[in-house]
Amino acid sequence: MALENLAFLIPVLPALAFVITFFFGKKMPSGGAIIPILSIAASFIISLLITLGLLANPEEVVSQSIPWFAMLNLGVLIDPLAAVMLTMVSFVSLLIHIYAVGYMAHDPAKPRYFAETSLFTAAMLALILSDNIVQLFVSWELVGLCSYLLIGFWFEKPSAAAAAKKAFLTTRVGDVMFLTGIIVLTTDLLKLAGGIPEGGYLLRFNEIFSYIPQLAALEANLFGLKVSHLTIITLLFFGGAVGKSGQFPLHVWLPDAMEGPTTVSALIHAATMVTAGVYLVARTFPMFLAAPDSLLVVAYVGGFTALFAATMGIVMNDIKRVLAFSTISQLGYMMLGLGVGAAIGMEAVGISLFHLVNHAFFKALLFLCAGSVIHAVGTHDMRELGGVAKVMPITAITMTAAALALAGIGIPGTSIGTSGFFSKDAIIESAYLFGEHSGNWLPYGFSIAAALLTSVYIFRLIFMTFTGKPRSNYGGHESPASMTVPLAILAVFALVFGGLTQTGFMQFLEETFSNNFVNLDLGRLAVLGGYELVQSASAEPTFILWLPILVALIGFGISFVLYYLKAVDLGVLASEKNPIYKLLYRRYYQHEIFTEFFSIGIVYGVVAFFAQLVDVLIDSIVESISIVTVAAGEALKRLQTGVVQTYAAVVVAGVSLLIILIKLITEVL
Amino acid sequence: MIPLSFYLGLSALLFSIGLFGIMYHKSGIRLIMCIELMLNSANLNLVAFSSYTDTLDGQVFALFSIALAAAEAAIGFAIFMAIYKMHEKINLDELNLLRW
Repeated sequence: MALENLAFLIPVLPALAFVITFFFGKKMPSGGAIIPILSIAASFIISLLITLGLLANPEEVVSQSIPWFAMLNLGVLIDPLAAVMLTMVSFVSLLIHIYAVGYMAHDPAKPRYFAETSLFTAAMLALILSDNIVQLFVSWELVGLCSYLLIGFWFEKPSAAAAAKKAFLTTRVGDVMFLTGIIVLTTDLLKLAGGIPEGGYLLRFNEIFSYIPQLAALEANLFGLKVSHLTIITLLFFGGAVGKSGQFPLHVWLPDAMEGPTTVSALIHAATMVTAGVYLVARTFPMFLAAPDSLLVVAYVGGFTALFAATMGIVMNDIKRVLAFSTISQLGYMMLGLGVGAAIGMEAVGISLFHLVNHAFFKALLFLCAGSVIHAVGTHDMRELGGVAKVMPITAITMTAAALALAGIGIPGTSIGTSGFFSKDAIIESAYLFGEHSGNWLPYGFSIAAALLTSVYIFRLIFMTFTGKPRSNYGGHESPASMTVPLAILAVFALVFGGLTQTGFMQFLEETFSNNFVNLDLGRLAVLGGYELVQSASAEPTFILWLPILVALIGFGISFVLYYLKAVDLGVLASEKNPIYKLLYRRYYQHEIFTEFFSIGIVYGVVAFFAQLVDVLIDSIVESISIVTVAAGEALKRLQTGVVQTYAAVVVAGVSLLIILIKLITEVL
Repeated sequence: MIPLSFYLGLSALLFSIGLFGIMYHKSGIRLIMCIELMLNSANLNLVAFSSYTDTLDGQVFALFSIALAAAEAAIGFAIFMAIYKMHEKINLDELNLLRW
C-alpha cells in the first residue's frame, strides 16, 4: 500500500520544515510559520489515514526497517499504540502552531521559535514511530534538546536560562538511567543470542520481547538480594520515564519550564516531551509485565506523584504554575494507570493512553486559554486578575470546558461526561481493583485524594481568574481568531472525545500487543512477573463508581464557597503563618532540599573537591614540564649568535661530520 | 674528451672557494658573489653529468638553477640596499640582531 511507504515522512516533513524556517524564515511573512504548519498538517493527515486504516484492519501494522551499523536498524513501526500517539501529537501540535501565529505575533525571533517547535514535533513523532530502542533513545534526546532550547527561548532573561538548564540537567539524570538500561539490555541480549544474529535486528522491539522469558530468568545479585535482570532493565527504563514525564522526585524541572512562551508550555505539557515517558513504559509494557516488582514501583510512584503535585497546585498564585502542577499530577495518574497493569494486564496500556490523549486535549486547551489571558491582560498572577470572563468570553467558556474535563465531571454508568471523566475514572477504578486484588490500597487512596484536590485547584483557578471584580487595572481584549479557533476546536475535543471513543479506544489499543507481537502469551508474562491477573471483571460496588465524581463535586463546592462566594476569610489560613500553607507554598522546600542542599551542597561540593584535587595534581605535572623547558631554553639560546658566518660554519661542520660518518659506517660494515 | 672527474674537480674547487668566501668575508656583496659561485659549481656538475650520461635532464635543471640564482641575487641585493640606507655600510658582523 502506498500509504505505508509515506510513513517515514511523518517525522521527516517537520524536520525539513525546521531547516527551511531556520534559514529562510526571516524573509517569509510571520516568520515562516506557514512551513511548519503545512508540514505538520501533512504529518497529521498521513497519521490519521494510517490510523483509520488500522482501525478498519488492525492486523495491518506498518513495519519497515533498514539496517544501520552492524546490529542496529532504522525503522518505522506503527501499531495501534503508535498510531494513536502520532495522530494526537501531530493534531495538538498543529493547533498549537496555528495558535502561536497570533500569540507570537509581536516577537522578533519568530523564525527561531517556529523552527524549534517544528524540530520538537519532529523529534517526538520520530520517537513514537521508532521500532527499536536505540532510535527511540536518539529521538528522546532530541526532544530533551528541543525542550532546553524552547524553555530558554527568551534566554536574555536569567530566570529563563536557569529554567532551561534545570530542565536539561534534571531530565539528564533520567536519561542516564535509560541509557544504562539500554546498555544492560544490549549486553544481555548479545549474551543470550550468542552474538549478532544474521539478518535480524537485535534491538527491535519484537526481537527484544521474544527474549523476555530468558531475560527474566537471568538473575543478578544486588546488595544481597536476588533481582531479575528484567527488573533492573525495566526500572532503569522507568527512571528515564520519571525524568521525562516529571514524576517524583525528578519533577522539579516542570514547574520552572513555564519560563518559555506559553505555547511552548502547551506543547511540552500536552503533546510532546512529558508524554514520552508514559509512552516509553507503554511501548515496553510486556517487559514491565514480566518483571517482578517493577509495576508496583510504577504504581506507587505514579499514585504518589498524582497526590503530591496536586497538593502544591492548590496554593500557587501563578496561573501557569497551577497548570504545571496539574500536569505532573495527571502524569502521575497515567503512570498509575500503567502500574495497575499488575492486576489488569494489557488493559492498563489502553486506560493509560486514553487518559494521555484526553489529557493532551484538555491540557493543551488549558495552557492556550491561559496564554490567551496572559496575552491580553499581561499578567499571570491570579491575584491581579478577576472578572476576565467579561472581556474574554470565548476564552472563559473554553477554559471552563477544559476545567470540567480535568476535574472529570460526568455521570457514571452512562456515556455522558467530559473526556477526563472516562479516562481518569477508569484509572481510579483500576486502582481500586488493584487494591482489592493485591492488597496495595495506597495507590487507590492517593488517586482519590488527588481527584479531590484536582477539582479544588482547577476551579480555584477558574473562579480567581474569570469571576468577581478586577483586582488590578488591566486593559483586556478577546484574542484574534487564529487563537480562538484552536481553542474552540480543542474545547470540543475536551468535552466529547472521551465519550465518543470510550469503548473503541481501549479495544483498539489492546490490539497493539496481540497482533504485532504474536509470540507473546499475556498470561505467561504475568506469571513470569509474579502478578496475578484478575480473571473475571467483577463489577465494582456502585459507591466506588460514584466516589470519584463525588469527590470532584466536593472539590468544586469547596472552591465555590471559598473563591466565588468568599464565605470564609482566607486571610490567616492562606498566609505564611499557617505552617501547612507555608509548606505547600514553598513547595515542600524542594528547592532548598533538592537544589541547594543536595545538588549544590553535596553533589557540587564533592565534585568541586575532586576537581580541586585533580587541578593540583595535573597542574604540578604541567608546571614542572614547563619549568624544565624554560630552563633548557635559557641555557641553549646562547647558540644563536645572530652572525651569518657562524651559522654557515656550523652547517659546513655538520655536513662534513655527516659525510665522515657515512663513509666510516659504509667502510666498517 | 675531457674526463668527468676533471669537471667534478673544478666544481669542487669552485664550491670550496665560494664556501671559504662566505665564511671569511664580512661584506654582504661578496657574500652574494660567493653564493653565486657555489650555485654555479653545482650547475657545472649538472651539465657535466648531463653530457656524460647523454641526457638533457641535467641541462634543463641547470637552466632552472640559473633562474633561481638570479631571483635570489635580486632579493639579496634589495635587502643589502635597504641595510645600506640604514647603516651606510654592509658589515655582516654587525648585522646580528636576529638572536636572543
